Amino acid sequence: MTDWNAMTDAEFRKEVRQFFEAEYPEELRHLPHRPKFAEIEHWHRKLHAKGWVAPAWPAEFGGMGLNAAKLLIFYEEQQRWGVNRGRDMGVQMVGPLIIKFGTQEQKDYWLPRILSCEDIWCQGYSEPGAGSDLANLRTRAEIDGDDFVINGQKIWTTMAHDATHIFMLVRTDPDAPKKQQGISFLLAPMDQPGVEVRTITTLSGETEFCEVFFDNARTSRENLVGELNKGWTMAKALLSFERIFIGSPSLAQNALGQLESFARGRGAFDDPVFRDRFAQAALDVEDHAALYARFADQLKRGETLGADVSMLKIWVTECFQRITELMIEAAGPDGGSIGPLQVGNVSVDVLASFYKARPTTIYGGSNEIQRNILSKAVLGLPG
Amino acid sequence: MTQTDILSSEQEDLRLLRESVRTLFERAGGSDRARQLRDAGGGFDPEMVRELAEAGVFGVAVPEDQGGLGMGLAAGGVIAEEVGRVIAPEPVVSTIGLSLGLLRRLCPDHPKMAQLIGGEISLAVAWQERGPDGAPADATCRYADGKLTGGKAWVVGAIGSHGFLVVAEQDDGPVLVLAEADAQGLVIDKRTQADGSSLGELSFSGTPAAELASSGAVLTALAEAVADATALAAAELVGLSERAFEITLDYIKTREQFDKPIGSFQVIQHRAVDLNVMCEVAQAGVREALAQMDSETDPKVRAPIASRAKARAVTAAKKITRDAIQLHGAVGYTDEFDIGLYLNRALVLSAWLGDDAYHRRIWFEAREAEGAAQ
Repeated sequence: MTDWNAMTDAEFRKEVRQFFEAEYPEELRHLPHRPKFAEIEHWHRKLHAKGWVAPAWPAEFGGMGLNAAKLLIFYEEQQRWGVNRGRDMGVQMVGPLIIKFGTQEQKDYWLPRILSCEDIWCQGYSEPGAGSDLANLRTRAEIDGDDFVINGQKIWTTMAHDATHIFMLVRTDPDAPKKQQGISFLLAPMDQPGVEVRTITTLSGETEFCEVFFDNARTSRENLVGELNKGWTMAKALLSFERIFIGSPSLAQNALGQLESFARGRGAFDDPVFRDRFAQAALDVEDHAALYARFADQLKRGETLGADVSMLKIWVTECFQRITELMIEAAGPDGGSIGPLQVGNVSVDVLASFYKARPTTIYGGSNEIQRNILSKAVLGLPG
Repeated sequence: MTQTDILSSEQEDLRLLRESVRTLFERAGGSDRARQLRDAGGGFDPEMVRELAEAGVFGVAVPEDQGGLGMGLAAGGVIAEEVGRVIAPEPVVSTIGLSLGLLRRLCPDHPKMAQLIGGEISLAVAWQERGPDGAPADATCRYADGKLTGGKAWVVGAIGSHGFLVVAEQDDGPVLVLAEADAQGLVIDKRTQADGSSLGELSFSGTPAAELASSGAVLTALAEAVADATALAAAELVGLSERAFEITLDYIKTREQFDKPIGSFQVIQHRAVDLNVMCEVAQAGVREALAQMDSETDPKVRAPIASRAKARAVTAAKKITRDAIQLHGAVGYTDEFDIGLYLNRALVLSAWLGDDAYHRRIWFEAREAEGAAQ
């Protein structure tokens, strides 16, 4: 087995880049929507054969065992080449939780199925009354013999209509003194009578979000991960690496590249006002990348990131939105048109970028929640 | 604070430099000293200049074989940040960037080099001119037969300097000359700035001056020195912004209204976070720019990097110092509170060597030129 961490950063980057460039299907680069598994199945098989489905997992569980530095490089290359993340909820969220908190039986059973995508996972966290205030969740799971019986509703469940399983936070002790207590982490199959999935049509006309209704749905008691009523702490423990990943410069960098070719083709740079606004956006991206590099260096030195890493997400998502506004501005009378716009030999889907930028300030903890966290944890402000 | 200690990620030598300069300024009274000097007429303290020299401050970017520390602009930026934190009026950035920047490139053996590094003297650089409409214009100041005629404008550190490094025109092209502060026929018109410091408007009528260097090399060295000073001014603004933010943060934690610290109100908290993020982005961007300038030799590449730094630093300092006044409320509008000193200093540093809009334009034009060349 290859010890990727023993390679130099440059060697490793080259290896990853070569594989993506040679093997990733051209028509799937920079996909503007989330694909169903069937659309990317062919690519997933290649990745699986290569052993690269789970870069962050330890090698003993079938992952690449990358350290933080190598992992960042892997993701940077993935984003640079526009490689779709695939249906990675299993790899990113459930797998690490099972590895950390699961029993040996759970590891042996679930992990290989995650890698092969025999099981495709969706995340059941948010509920109609539990968004930013996630701990307010109400979906109940009650023990009944060897099963849990689940009743309630999840929402914003990404790609639930194309998932075989859901991992969820459920309330198992409604009488706990604090609402963060009494929450458990459960795995459940989707294909059963008590589970109903309805897609939600988004502003852009996509149907990647769903509502999932549970009406006496059942899952085996063996599918409780970790201790009963300890789900909240477990789910939170997962987020630390995600917080730098969600603030990476790539979304804004890619959008800026698109903006530049589009605006150039449309002659928008003839306007000095546009030039200045473009320069502002470009410098916003460049200086954000400098801050990102500072946090990435910390990770590479093996340090733990503080709560201050959230500022990356705030800056880059808002910057991404400003860039997409400039695209619309450069499109002029085409600014309201759906679908790709051809300019010279580049094709840019202005509104697809615009819509893609909207939820970035809402998901992963809305930017307002991030500001609340920073004000208390970093600035030490009261109340 | 769960925020990572920024100092820990800095190289050891830069960390030590930062600590020694910070200690020196704090012992001397921090920002109170800036207020005292302003109230005493707006000059700087020659004794402080000597102490800074002893700490190696002025020679920081001068190569070791020319009598400096050879630590580069990144180290200069560390010093500039510390100057900004206590809004020190001493001509630190203008000396490191402009006067020593010119001399070390054009006449490294000149005895004034050692005197500048040693803090015995300060020299102001006079390179810009004012046109009839009051805006910057091409150079017309003449140098012939050992004498200067014409004028120079926006001379930083003119008051209290021992002489002037003047960029002038002679028959066969540009020339750098040295005019003593008390030279005949030199009139210095003082323009007071928001922070109490002065810009000099110089006029020469047959003023004796000694030639230091001539030919096209003068303009090349000038452009390089201006780029260095621009990036260092950006670092000074970063330090200033950080301190202005800290003062404001302390204030909103202690000022109470409606029986609570105003910093407990979410609208205030979110504004504070935005200022903090702005500060961190500026610090990261400017430090990266200075490090890049140290590893680049091509002036065409270095200049737009300096512009990137200044554009960011001015954008951040503008936002932070203005919002700092707002968050202080009415007392922010008084002279009694220190936050106003930071706003006033930011106004001066932003206007010096080009503001954010100017440098975005320069940066963008360089980017276009590079794109066209490829």
